[in-house]
Amino acid sequence: MESPAIRMQKAQDVFDLSPHALFAVACGSTKNGDGVLVKIGIPKETHDGERRVAATPDTVEKLLKLGFEVQIESGAGEAARLPDAGFAAAGATVVESAEEIWSNSELVLKVRPPQPPELEQIQEGTHLISLFFPAQNGHLIEALAGKKCTVLALDQIPRISRAQKMDVLSSMANIAGYRAVIEAANHFGSFFSGQITAAGRTRPAQVMVIGAGVAGLAAIAAARGLGAEVRAFDVRPAVKEQVESLGARFLELDFEEPAETDGGYAKEMSDAFLEAEYALFAEQAKEVDIIITTALIPGKKAPELITKAMVESMKPGSIVVDLAAEQGGNCAYTQPDRAIEVKGVTILGYTDLTCRLATHASQLFATNLVNLLSDMVGEEGYAVDIDDEVVRKSLVVNKGVVSWPPPPEPEKAVPPPPTREVPQKPAPAPVTKPKAAGHGTSNGPGAIWPVLVSVLALLGIGATVDDPQLVHNLTVFVLACFVGWQVVWSVTAALHTPLMSVTNAISGIIVVGGMLQVAVLQGDGGGGLSVSVLLGAAAILVASINIAGGFLVTQRMLKMFRKEGK
Amino acid sequence: MDYFPNMAYLAAGMLFILSLGGLSKQETAQRGNTYGIIGMILAVLTVLVGIEQGDNLDLGKAAPLLAGTILVGFVIGGFLAARVAMTAMPQLVAILHSFVGLAAVFVGLSSYLDPAVPVTGGSHTVHLIEIWLGVAIGAITFTGSVIAWAKLRGSMSGTPLLLPGRHLLNLLVVLVIVGLAVPFIQDTNALHGAGHASAEDLLSSTPFVFLLVMTLLASLLGIHLVMAIGGADMPVVVSMLNSYSGWAAAAAGFMLSNDLLIITGALVGSSGAILSYIMCRAMNRSIWNVIFGGFGTDGGKPASGSGGTLEGQVLETAADEVAAWALGAKEIMIVPGYGMAVARAQHLVNDFTKILRDRGANVRYAIHPVAGRLPGHMNVLLAEAGVPYDIVLEMEEINDDCPKTDLVLVIGANDIVNPGAETDESSPIFGMPVIQVWKSSRVVVFKRGMGVGYAGVANPLFFEDNTHMLFGDAGASVQDIVSALREK
Repeated sequence: MESPAIRMQKAQDVFDLSPHALFAVACGSTKNGDGVLVKIGIPKETHDGERRVAATPDTVEKLLKLGFEVQIESGAGEAARLPDAGFAAAGATVVESAEEIWSNSELVLKVRPPQPPELEQIQEGTHLISLFFPAQNGHLIEALAGKKCTVLALDQIPRISRAQKMDVLSSMANIAGYRAVIEAANHFGSFFSGQITAAGRTRPAQVMVIGAGVAGLAAIAAARGLGAEVRAFDVRPAVKEQVESLGARFLELDFEEPAETDGGYAKEMSDAFLEAEYALFAEQAKEVDIIITTALIPGKKAPELITKAMVESMKPGSIVVDLAAEQGGNCAYTQPDRAIEVKGVTILGYTDLTCRLATHASQLFATNLVNLLSDMVGEEGYAVDIDDEVVRKSLVVNKGVVSWPPPPEPEKAVPPPPTREVPQKPAPAPVTKPKAAGHGTSNGPGAIWPVLVSVLALLGIGATVDDPQLVHNLTVFVLACFVGWQVVWSVTAALHTPLMSVTNAISGIIVVGGMLQVAVLQGDGGGGLSVSVLLGAAAILVASINIAGGFLVTQRMLKMFRKEGK
Repeated sequence: MDYFPNMAYLAAGMLFILSLGGLSKQETAQRGNTYGIIGMILAVLTVLVGIEQGDNLDLGKAAPLLAGTILVGFVIGGFLAARVAMTAMPQLVAILHSFVGLAAVFVGLSSYLDPAVPVTGGSHTVHLIEIWLGVAIGAITFTGSVIAWAKLRGSMSGTPLLLPGRHLLNLLVVLVIVGLAVPFIQDTNALHGAGHASAEDLLSSTPFVFLLVMTLLASLLGIHLVMAIGGADMPVVVSMLNSYSGWAAAAAGFMLSNDLLIITGALVGSSGAILSYIMCRAMNRSIWNVIFGGFGTDGGKPASGSGGTLEGQVLETAADEVAAWALGAKEIMIVPGYGMAVARAQHLVNDFTKILRDRGANVRYAIHPVAGRLPGHMNVLLAEAGVPYDIVLEMEEINDDCPKTDLVLVIGANDIVNPGAETDESSPIFGMPVIQVWKSSRVVVFKRGMGVGYAGVANPLFFEDNTHMLFGDAGASVQDIVSALREK
């Protein structure tokens, strides 16, 4: 359901010159509600070494339920051990050639960005959802914009809680982190866990994980699972708890610098910080058997953290797994897609770690995709709705119009909440505890003008009235008001009813007035029941009711209050 | 000995302050009440000394009348206090306010006719203004409290009476009251001995007629002010009248130049003002909003906005099931409202509490400041039922514990547990602090039906996944649960 704010915002778009509104106008209709676009095509990945596929039989079923038609290229799932038969059984049409997929599909789901031959096959107006890395693929954006395509980049999905279920990068990072440990174990000539055997005992492997993002945490968990002793480092001290919850030691620097961007990713650090960091790594390199590096900075070359000297200082037989190999590597020796050996230390620069776990990688990838699509499918079927934050941020090309980087949030266009007069902060803020003593005037209504008015009134009376009795009375009155104010604030809320009844009783003190009036000696000394005496007597009567009634009922109530166990 | 009464009054005033101060804790509250009684006895004895000393006063002649009226008053008061049901406390408090107002009117009129304390050292004008003010406040307090009493008793409908142009009407009456004061204070002749005159003589004395007319107008103003306030706002009105009764007593003190009356009046006036302020804050409304148009009047549109239109799945439950949940729960919270008192369920709720506390569960009560019909009313009702006061907590003390509570029983309360007050800006009660029961693991709401609360606002709590409704009379429902618990 849409919030009123969004609805109103749409109505305003026509007059609005905000970037968001201009963007909306440039894109024409934001909804694609014609309901025609239902044919999904899943081609076999053509990139070298890519073994994943953008659908599994399970997700095909879900796509069909969402109202799509699904066709899949024969052999698309082969490398991920997902045979055609499974897809066919789930309800997909298996077609022979990639060409058929590209020419017959309105929406193509892929893992990798389109390769040059694929680019040629893409039909005008086709929608494409895949990993895209728009920052590195300017030429692709141009080409697809030229074909009036619509492209959603899975790698641009914002890191918000609602979009976690669609976050392909996290899914893949998780797999890469796990697989990095498996690859390291494969090349490592020793046990991970410590062993006690008849032939003596072995020490557990010492693993250092650099970067405790999704991949790093997965690596920590996997290495711990194999029995290694794990230490981990991250520039963001906030992840310490997560690291420790997985049973690893968190390495810390004596250095403080905020290291988290709004998006929850790590950012680049200052020189002084890097120096301290290098010192730590140099020291650790001599101690550990395995280093797994996962440090990435979005859109930039990966930072070099493990220098050649550090690698050379490692024990022979040690392993470095560099998960950042594709972005230039965290290790100076890293060569992408290769395993090399330097002075007995193996450096693994595989960039296809996720493909090495193709079945589960495909399953997670495809499930993320279905989650995205099921959010996009509204009442009128599949639609690219730029009011949806996830869509707006991941949209690279919209019907031929380049929309990356995404337009800024339309914050200013949001109308003020309709109920402005109500207090912004509800509940507890204004509620201070009236229980504790010392809640005096500060607890009362805060305006200063009643105080000023009172001061002026007193000054005015002082200047004009020549009546010592009145001055005396006012003095007593004003001071008594303040005493009352202080004393009553200290009364516990539980006793407010007895407070009222006891004030009933003591305000019966007005009996004094009645008594005096009754005793007035009449002008002629004659007494008798004059009007004023009768009035006085009546006052005594009602005031006495108050005195007796008030005190007695208070006593009755107070006797009821008892502590537990008494 | 000339100043003996002054010092004795000061001592009595001190005792009254200690009396209120004693109420800060349950442990010292009874002692506080005793101080009040001692103070009152001291005050009355001092008046007798004062009368003995007074130039134009005669104790001997007045003694029978004094003794007689005080005795009758005490008998009536004692009878009321001993008989009143705790649920009827609001009515008793309201009617006692009216007596203070009435006494202030009587004393004012009487002292105009025959001043007991000679006006010395001050101008007659000031004295007349004091009389005028004292009688006006007293009359408003008197009639206002009588109306409040009738509304609280149910002998008058709780719906506000809204005359057209009522604000203007009030203003007009106030202006006339002020205007009539001008000719009244200019005539200083009729001050002495008029009380001895016949009724005809009195009514031919223009200033006295002015005073009577003004008394009538102030009485009408009191009636009108309270008639216009809705039933749900009665706790505020009663607190406010509590305050007025104090100011009326203080005004009488000015008239008679009596320090003790002034001190006591100021204490009571402040006390009522603070209670009104606390109540308003607990409803997130200003005092002006309450006095000049509250819910169901010109200000709010009840049952509009989000009110009444909520729809959703309501989960029903039964007594057996609630008993089973209660047995499994470690932390139990009970949120009572006035509905519990109406159903006379507090004793059964106490049985429920005892059984579960004996089994080791931590059963506690959460009291919202506006639960009940009077500030602190719920606490008195629970105390009467035998619930120990140390497990009865204020909203602010217990609200943070809601998330770790396993089971919440909401008995006869509605608006004070409405999550809309925190989240729904269109809700008429938005911003009112509420007990956050929805944060607990499970909530059971005891209710007769799906009706709305006083504020006329639908309650989204009823549609929460962790809320279960137990429909029916709260007393019968709790009885069933207690029986189920006893069997297990």
